[in-house]
Amino acid sequence: MARARGRRAESESESEDTMSKLGQVVEAVEKHGRFVVDQVKRARSDEKFGRELAERWNKIKAETPITRAPTGLPLPRLALPEIDEPGEIARYLFGDGLPGEFPFLNGAYREMYLEPLQNIDQGSHGNKRSTSTNGAKLQKNGARPQEEPTRLFSGLMLAEDTNRRFHFLSAHQRSKRLSTAFDGLTLYGIDSDAEGVFGKIGEGGVAVDTVEDMVRLYDGFDLGSPEFSASMTISGPAPIIMAMYIAAAKRRFGSGIVPKLRGTIQSDIFKEVQAQNETIFPIEASLRFLCDMIEWTAANMPRWYPVSISGYHIGEAGSTPVQQAAYTLSNGFAYVELLAARGIPVDQFGPRLSFFLDCGLDVEYIALARVSRKIWAIGMRDVFSAGPRAQMFKLHTQTSGRSLIAAEFKNNLTRTAAELMLAYMNGTNSCHSNSADEPFTTPSEEWIRLAAHGQAILLEESGIFKHTMNMLSGSPGMKAVERAVEKAILDEFREIESLGGVLAAVENRYQRSQIQSAAHRYEEQIYDGTRPIVGLTRYRNGSDEMPEIELARTPRSKQRLQIERLTKFKKKNADKANRALDNLAQVVDRGENSFPALLEAVEVCSLGQITGRLQEVVGRFRPMV
Amino acid sequence: MASPIRILTAVPICDGHDSAINTINLEFIRHGIEVVYLGFHRYAGDIVRAAIQEDVAAIGISSYNGGHVEFFAEVVRQLKRRGASDIAVFGGGGGTITHDDASLMKGKGVDEIFFAGTSLTDMVDYVKKHYGKRRKSRAKLKPDLLLARKLTQLEDAAGKRSPRAKHQTSSIKHRTSKVIGITGPGGAGKTTLIDELVLRFLTQDRHSRIGILSHDPSVIGEGALLGDRATMINSQDDRVFMRSMATRGQAGGLSPATESCLNLLAHSGFDYVIIETVGTGQEALPFRRQLVDQTILVMNPDYGARLQLQKIVMLDVADIVVVNKTDLERAKAALLEIEQRLTQNKRKQQIVATVAKRHRDAGVDELYDLITQDGAGARPPRRERK
Repeated sequence: MARARGRRAESESESEDTMSKLGQVVEAVEKHGRFVVDQVKRARSDEKFGRELAERWNKIKAETPITRAPTGLPLPRLALPEIDEPGEIARYLFGDGLPGEFPFLNGAYREMYLEPLQNIDQGSHGNKRSTSTNGAKLQKNGARPQEEPTRLFSGLMLAEDTNRRFHFLSAHQRSKRLSTAFDGLTLYGIDSDAEGVFGKIGEGGVAVDTVEDMVRLYDGFDLGSPEFSASMTISGPAPIIMAMYIAAAKRRFGSGIVPKLRGTIQSDIFKEVQAQNETIFPIEASLRFLCDMIEWTAANMPRWYPVSISGYHIGEAGSTPVQQAAYTLSNGFAYVELLAARGIPVDQFGPRLSFFLDCGLDVEYIALARVSRKIWAIGMRDVFSAGPRAQMFKLHTQTSGRSLIAAEFKNNLTRTAAELMLAYMNGTNSCHSNSADEPFTTPSEEWIRLAAHGQAILLEESGIFKHTMNMLSGSPGMKAVERAVEKAILDEFREIESLGGVLAAVENRYQRSQIQSAAHRYEEQIYDGTRPIVGLTRYRNGSDEMPEIELARTPRSKQRLQIERLTKFKKKNADKANRALDNLAQVVDRGENSFPALLEAVEVCSLGQITGRLQEVVGRFRPMV
Repeated sequence: MASPIRILTAVPICDGHDSAINTINLEFIRHGIEVVYLGFHRYAGDIVRAAIQEDVAAIGISSYNGGHVEFFAEVVRQLKRRGASDIAVFGGGGGTITHDDASLMKGKGVDEIFFAGTSLTDMVDYVKKHYGKRRKSRAKLKPDLLLARKLTQLEDAAGKRSPRAKHQTSSIKHRTSKVIGITGPGGAGKTTLIDELVLRFLTQDRHSRIGILSHDPSVIGEGALLGDRATMINSQDDRVFMRSMATRGQAGGLSPATESCLNLLAHSGFDYVIIETVGTGQEALPFRRQLVDQTILVMNPDYGARLQLQKIVMLDVADIVVVNKTDLERAKAALLEIEQRLTQNKRKQQIVATVAKRHRDAGVDELYDLITQDGAGARPPRRERK
């Protein structure tokens, strides 16, 4: 901490007043690069400093416990480059950092996916310290890591159907980590009884109109347990859905549950406007509601992640990997700037920010998340004066849905496996692997199971990730990709900076048009052969038949049931709803924090009623082409 | 030369997957097709209304979020109900639309579904082959259909006439609508401003009907992306008739058929007809004498150095100069410089500061009042700006 503050003082320069925070991040990263070069030179010229570094290096190696593979092969629990020259040691320690150390290139935490320590041979180095990550308690007989990083994404039909799917999926898991997909109506804040939307109810995700649906959705799960967390993939109406989740939890467990709730809600407005198009209020109003929510959750729900800064949808919309990382990071810094401007301490909300990236097959993915982690850490420390916990880029990765294709779809298993490998090489904190049948529908149970097991095979069966940290880090190729990617990301930052910063660039649809051009180029490359696609443009077996796949479609009877429930809810609460909506509208008009009023409103109002009233006050989102 | 094929593309309600359609739109345009793009998250009713007003040959729908069987069928059903069943419907949804779904959808009147792996070229060829022929006139046409079809005929006729003869039709004298011409550089916010004005027209007078003639440039070859509708959230209304026109090779911000189309619209029972030019340059004077009743120049505060203002000739003739995006830092200086520039003209010109992107913006309210309270010729006294 003391060191972070010290460096902060150094980095203040006269250009700070005229430059946006993003411009300062560029400077800070470049400055850090120069700092590393200086340390390398110093290690070579200043004998005392060089000796200290070499001693530290030898100590780290000596203290590294030795682990044994099932075959008996001894391996160090942390692998380090084979260097003994002080300059190179300086370059590694300051430039990359050990896993769990600034700038976190090799990992946000020290041990990531390693098996717990009790399974391993302490070796002759006599390390008596606990090396468990994150203060996790060692279990006497547990052979498996504390928590599997696998996340299961699901959402279909009505709340009870998704609930059943959640129970089915998590039956195979020790910890219950549920990731929820909502149907299109919910994503756009529209009620199931709206005109002209009938066929959309429960399609592509679960239909949620009211707090009662939210109660049904997580029924049977202990929402306050440390073993449980809920993730909700929704952004446009996120504050309303967040309020519903809290209200549902209170209905089931009483108000004492609130500080115990764990989970993530996506809430990423910038990426919606840039790529995914599920925005319902004008940008500034959306950002205001978001910050209202974050301000409330950061104070009242210390275990909740109120925004998942997402590159996934940017990648899926067709961006290049570099664009994905650059826009995601710059969006993240823009949120930090907004929240800091409200006077919320960066060390209060900073550790509650998390990230979500796409992982495809392009070569950049060998190091994309590693570089992102580094840039975030430097920016947070040197530009926003954040402490170590807020410097950590906590990452959820999903394998690329876009890389999966319908033709000869079983090849998608291999694509996903390769992407998983890349994601874990980058030290992602959690990961979702796509089902091979994703090009067709909401994934079916058979393929979901295969996808989840793919992760277990990599992490638990194979020896690639469980014995040794840094097993695959730092190859010459990876370093080359890191350098190229970092430079390209900073170039993108400069471009955004020259357009007046993130918000101005968004309003001028800069990111959108960049993503669209990249998407178009990608399509062209598929058809001109630059990007071979097995089963489509190469090695095609000639048959275009679509495979027999069990489709998860919502029956009409269920869609009608959802409308009946909603009608009943609205009738029951008709009087109270109007009062709650009036109150909400007044609070918004007065410019107060809207979240407490939302918490009241969701008790008696549907999602669509709330969205509708808010749009009367702040307007509707004007789509960008 | 035959007129370009016109089609409309859109993504259904509660669906924001526009990556595929954006790519396909570009491909259509490159191959000479005029694409009216309605955007994502669109109701079936909005798609059908737009398709009729734009008189397109076909509607292409890109759906990735499910519910496609119902949605496509609803579009076909509404086209039929509104007497426009000669507008074809086609579409796709990657792997989300199965072969069984497609058969079902075709049974309900959908022309064609493209599956995952269909090349862009195949789609372009399909559209050219099936939607390239002029359709027969419909026997009994409902008013919007009739108007839309007449506009198409005027556009076709203008394409056939020699450039010199294009100003033949003139019936400016007997117009029944007030015609407002809106012009200005690209990116100044003309479309947003018009949409915000429409919101006020619709809410402040329960009976008014609005016509809009919107222009976008034709690009390489003959195609054009006519995308103004996609960002116009308030203009998707039965009381608004909007027509998107491509410039079809004419410079200056309008199309060869603009004048005749405008005259037709101005005789068609609308209270106001708004005409929007493409983004124009400094030397542009897009509205011929008396083509419009009131001229509005929309500017962005970021026009560069003060000297640039001297070169903008529209500043000499505009009745109202709107400086939009006045939330930008440069706005204060811009307003001052433009005001000084207008003083040289010694004419009664008004200047209004707006932030059109802002809901309930007071500047747009002021502009609305200037437009609606202005009797033909008798302009109200200039008001103080905030």
